[in-house]
Amino acid sequence: MKKKICSALMFLVILSMGAYAQKTTLTVFDYIDATAPGYAENEAIWQRFIDENPDITIVKEELSNEPFHQKLAAYVAAGTLPDVMYMYPSGRSTMLHEQKLVKDLAPLLGKDYLANFIPSVTDPSGQKGKYLAELPQSISYTTVMFTNTKLLSDLGLRVPSTYAELKAMLPKLKAKGIRPVLMANKDDWVMQSCLFSTIVGRMLGDEWIDNALAGKVKFTDKEFIKALDFVETMYKDGVIGRDTIQISYGEAPALFAEGKAAFFIDGDWRQNAFLTDPSSGKALIDPKRQQTDFEYFNFPAIPGEKNPGVASAVLGCGYGISASIPAGSDKEKAAVRLLKYLYSADVQRQYLELGRYITSRKDVKSDKLEPFTVKMAAYHDAVKKTCYVLDGALDTSIYTPLNLGLQQIGLGTKTPTQVAQSVQAAVDAWRASH
Amino acid sequence: MNGTATKAAKDRRAYWAMVLPSFLIYLFVFGFPIVLAIVLSLSNYGGGKMFGGTSWGITGFRQYQRLFADPYFWNALKNNIYIVLVSVLGQLPLGFIFAYLIYRKTVKFEEFWQGVLYVPAMISTIVVGILWSIIFSPYGPIADTANHYYASAYSAKISGIFQTTGGLSDPDELTDQIIKASPSTINTVFSDPSVDLKDFLLSYEPGDTATLQKDLVNLLAPRWNADFLSKNNVAMIPICFVTLWMWVGTYLLIFLANMQKIDRGIIEAAQIDGASEMQIMGRVVLPSLSKVIANSAILCISGSLSGFALILAMTGGGPARVTQVLSIYMYDKAFMGAPDYPLANAIAIMIVLFSLALVGIMFALERRFGGKE
Repeated sequence: MKKKICSALMFLVILSMGAYAQKTTLTVFDYIDATAPGYAENEAIWQRFIDENPDITIVKEELSNEPFHQKLAAYVAAGTLPDVMYMYPSGRSTMLHEQKLVKDLAPLLGKDYLANFIPSVTDPSGQKGKYLAELPQSISYTTVMFTNTKLLSDLGLRVPSTYAELKAMLPKLKAKGIRPVLMANKDDWVMQSCLFSTIVGRMLGDEWIDNALAGKVKFTDKEFIKALDFVETMYKDGVIGRDTIQISYGEAPALFAEGKAAFFIDGDWRQNAFLTDPSSGKALIDPKRQQTDFEYFNFPAIPGEKNPGVASAVLGCGYGISASIPAGSDKEKAAVRLLKYLYSADVQRQYLELGRYITSRKDVKSDKLEPFTVKMAAYHDAVKKTCYVLDGALDTSIYTPLNLGLQQIGLGTKTPTQVAQSVQAAVDAWRASH
Repeated sequence: MNGTATKAAKDRRAYWAMVLPSFLIYLFVFGFPIVLAIVLSLSNYGGGKMFGGTSWGITGFRQYQRLFADPYFWNALKNNIYIVLVSVLGQLPLGFIFAYLIYRKTVKFEEFWQGVLYVPAMISTIVVGILWSIIFSPYGPIADTANHYYASAYSAKISGIFQTTGGLSDPDELTDQIIKASPSTINTVFSDPSVDLKDFLLSYEPGDTATLQKDLVNLLAPRWNADFLSKNNVAMIPICFVTLWMWVGTYLLIFLANMQKIDRGIIEAAQIDGASEMQIMGRVVLPSLSKVIANSAILCISGSLSGFALILAMTGGGPARVTQVLSIYMYDKAFMGAPDYPLANAIAIMIVLFSLALVGIMFALERRFGGKE
């Protein structure tokens, strides 16, 4: 009897060891703000994958904003990339693309699967490495003017269609202690990504940037300096306060929701900060007010613009798979299974309902969207023509002095010409090394 | 004779058997990274695998040339020197004085003061950084207090102007007086103040002067702004202040602990000889602590040069790198924007060299001026 029990136990131990041995562990580095609405629901989405895939163990790490990018850079430096990671199509994820540290997803996901997405997101030419290093979850419109229309109408003001009209609003707004335009300029990328890219797109166009990178024109030419001059003008006019350089990315949405500013300029992803958190039922701006008191607009017409109505947009972020995973391995299969789950119609619908982004998947619809998300989809449709987001079009070594220079213009420590010179110097160095 | 030689050899073997493991661990933990940093600072290593990845090689002192040509390096170094000065000339003297006051029971409730002064050092550096960044933010208590003060002063001026000019009954005079009483920012609000301000005033009902006065204060009163951030030397003041606030308590504890080891008989003898409190402090206690002060100064210097978390949490080195110090400058080059590992390693080596130089100076000063125990 004892022998039989021992044999059975041994059999169970061996069986469990076998099961354990077959389990594949995936390390994941995800981008999410744990304080943002919908965090608990996002965790539930991941938990469902874990529950449905007992043969895969997920070891997940989460960060957002600068700490995310810095940690990813540390992983790259140490050569210890996670198996699956959230990444950008260019910009801060440039090293992943250029050093081919992530796999090409096109053959892994297959043509039939990718046919579910809008063609522009599966076009590899939009990514830095010119291959499908990540599958963009959306198209990101990086300039959105969140507008408190109720506040404007209470003061007898209407939405400005030109910069002159925006400037003319200042006395009435400031007399009531309201900031005209709020931006979170403490992080130096915000001005470049969320406004200056659109200014350049309007005043110069993408072709000019291409020519500048090819050495046919220079960033010190008067056209580019004029674009920088406009940023300086906005600060000097008081349309954008110099103290926005002290406002952090995290605190800006709450200030806008409190009615401290008439306009808030940020990317389309920022709508998520205002939505109802399903777990607490609270929202920075409740759905009723989202519907009646707020709208999204493009930045008004800029003096001297050549391309009216253009707004900056870039392929959105998505997940990539580490190139260090052996081809055909169980780990690779597990990573592909995870990606197919995350990009499934069901999960994408949930992310749409949570207001994370306007999904790039064609077959996703929902009638449970909050007004801000519906309005964001309408804003995307309203922007007929897009232009480069500069940190997506320029090399990191070039947009770094530009980001810095835009802050220096805001502080008044450098002139537009000096900033243009520093950007051109970076272009010259970049061209010399390529 | 032979036995003595054997014993000496045995002792040597025993010595090395005990010392060698620690020495090897020390070399591995401290020596290896320093040597690697030196090698990388002289190379063109671009990231990824060190062996088997993109090829890289030694390129000489190019990174150091780039470093010395970069104005942001000198700015970061200058900011570090400010912090070193505040630390050595601020934290140590204040820590010493507070410790002395407690030691000599010059103040009541010594343990309470000891606790209060040490509390900042017990709080997480990141929490302290975020706390003070909120305090200094445009919507923080300092800005609120300053704006409230500015608004009150300007409101009194506007009230006076309304009384003396008769308010909206004489809009031209009212406009002129408001322009004279307002700061130059009126020119950014109105492109032609004499015309536009008058139009603005006339847009209000004559009986609604209370609202008008309130709106004028919102519109034209001076406000706390971030202008001070554009001035390199001034932008570091909040950081230097917080550095001082945070670490004085630590040195207080160090000094107090060492003061308690001084033979009380010496102090009593000095008192019998008629020494004043200042003489006891300067002639008895201070020389007795000279070695401790020198060691604390080394802690201060190394902490100041490698200080990272507080500034990262408070300003991140910004805006526009105005408050960047060497450690953040190094981090910036290694992990933010375009990673530049050789340059980042060159900065790390410079931090080590500056630390060694300053520590050397401290030792020399201690030898020259320190008390003999």
